[in-house]
Amino acid sequence: MLEESLNLLLLGQNPDGGWGAVAGKRSNTEATALALLALQAVFKKTTEPAVQKAKTWLAERQSVDGSWPLNDSLKESSWSTALAIIALSASADFNERVIKAGRWTLEQEGSKPGILANLILAVTFQKKAVQLNEDLIGWPWTPNSFSWVEPTSYFLLALKKIRRNLSSKTVEERIQQGELMIYDRMCDNGGWNYGNSSVYGDRLWPYPDTTAVALIALQDHQERKENQVSLRALDEMAKKTDSGLALSWGAICLSLYGQEGAELKQRLVERFAKTKFLGETKAIALGILAMGNGARFFRV
Amino acid sequence: MVRDSFECEVKMNRREFIKASAGASLYPFLNSCEQQVRWEKAAFIKTKRSQVAILAAEQYGSSLRDTIRRGIEMFRLELNGRRVLLKPNLVEFDLKGAINTHPAVIEAAVDAFKTLGAREVIVAEGPGHRRDNEYLLTASGLYDVFKEHRIRYVDLNTDDVRLSKLKSSFTHFHQLYLPETLYNADLLVSMPKLKTHHWAGVTLSLKNMFGVVPGSVYGWPKNALHWAGIVGSILDINSSLPLPRFAIVDGIVGMEGNGPLQGQEKKSGVLIFGNDLVAVDATAARLMKIEPRKVKYLDLAGEFLGNIGYEQIDQIGENLHPYQQDFRVIDNFAYLKKLV
Repeated sequence: MLEESLNLLLLGQNPDGGWGAVAGKRSNTEATALALLALQAVFKKTTEPAVQKAKTWLAERQSVDGSWPLNDSLKESSWSTALAIIALSASADFNERVIKAGRWTLEQEGSKPGILANLILAVTFQKKAVQLNEDLIGWPWTPNSFSWVEPTSYFLLALKKIRRNLSSKTVEERIQQGELMIYDRMCDNGGWNYGNSSVYGDRLWPYPDTTAVALIALQDHQERKENQVSLRALDEMAKKTDSGLALSWGAICLSLYGQEGAELKQRLVERFAKTKFLGETKAIALGILAMGNGARFFRV
Repeated sequence: MVRDSFECEVKMNRREFIKASAGASLYPFLNSCEQQVRWEKAAFIKTKRSQVAILAAEQYGSSLRDTIRRGIEMFRLELNGRRVLLKPNLVEFDLKGAINTHPAVIEAAVDAFKTLGAREVIVAEGPGHRRDNEYLLTASGLYDVFKEHRIRYVDLNTDDVRLSKLKSSFTHFHQLYLPETLYNADLLVSMPKLKTHHWAGVTLSLKNMFGVVPGSVYGWPKNALHWAGIVGSILDINSSLPLPRFAIVDGIVGMEGNGPLQGQEKKSGVLIFGNDLVAVDATAARLMKIEPRKVKYLDLAGEFLGNIGYEQIDQIGENLHPYQQDFRVIDNFAYLKKLV
């Protein structure tokens, strides 16, 4: 699988050096950052030109404020900045860029519902729709909106990787706050979905990919009960989920938690043979990272 | 176009947030912006009457192909050589639930549009909660359907995007990034599930269009739209889509109660067709014994996007009344059940 998926990934690289969500689409920061990590995980001399082009693509797209937009069509800073930090932090050449992006990250925070909304809720005794602590601040997908699990996990991971290089008092504070936010959003029996455990009292269910990403972000708290419960939830979900994305994130997560994940890797191989992960760059790159000892790039 | 003041926009957003989280009883307190016109009058010319077809469909079987072809033919759509884009509801998946447009309905629609002359039929969705397309397609059974019929699936969440100016201003957006795939198709077919919705009241062919907004730009869930106001977002998206539309509502088995995810199955045994999405949704709401004029976004859509009045809609196919069923709604939307 590794050789074939690597070839598929290389074939999908755009002439500008980046990757789109699938081959032929415009290059974007998320796909390019993950593809770069994948190529670095299985380093070969033949892939070196592709690696350099990918690094150049990322470096040239960094905005003046340190962030990355998702792609060339968008001017706005985006959540994919976290993935660019993770990808470029593997190389010392980009220290300055990574630190600048880290500083931008510290300035971003999810919004909270206004005072008026909370006041009216209180005075009308209305049943609260969702059970989450709105005061815990993580990171949103898009500026001026609410904090959600996946972007918060990416930014936590990015900050944890570069925390020693960021001479800012707020780093540890933001990391702690982000972790609390993620724990607060955990589903009742462990694991995470996009970031809501129930609506009007009815439980929502966790997703394997988001659970794995959250657990990776929280890997330095492996002993915590929530991590252990969620790890078991991930194991159960992975048994019932057939997708390159879920199995790849799952295998990477298990590796960081000291487990071999042989069964997941075997199913990953079978799945790739069947679907080629729909040709999605992200899943192909994560599959390479899972099979090619790439979990180390997500270790903090 | 009458431009809203910033203050009014803030009030509108706040109002929608409160409606969703604190209940509709507060609604009249924050009503001050409603009377302003928020769309370019010249850009929206409604027909005086609209047609909606209800066709009986007892189950998800092979007879659906004929039923759906018949439903489409009733509207004499120009399909020869056209690229048709089907937009089902794949927001999430639950094996035990009735969240998604059934794969059999999608398969039958692909077949029907091809039979009626379409050059290509694409299925496209930007799932609102999940990022894992392979899981959603496999678990729902669509992966095998697409493979068997060589149907192209486009993930609208990660499609290339184009910045599009909005033709109405119910939110602060003024412009939205929309997927390129919309610009390369000739007809967009909204294929929702017949469901109640805990934030919007009902989710039908208009609300289904949340799925065309790219998650890679606006997040999962499409939180930026919720933050800007669900009612306003539904209206701004539907006023500004760059291609003609048609709707096929999967009401064979719908969902009542705490929809769109956690409600209970409700069998209605119908498919609803139409080229005026407002009229389709108004009819679908009546089918659920929900008053469309009390669904805020439908009421506003009825002012400029299409026809909502019972007397403005010609019912073709089956009569509405024998198929009407009482779909439960959550307490906050109890007022929707008072038919006028």
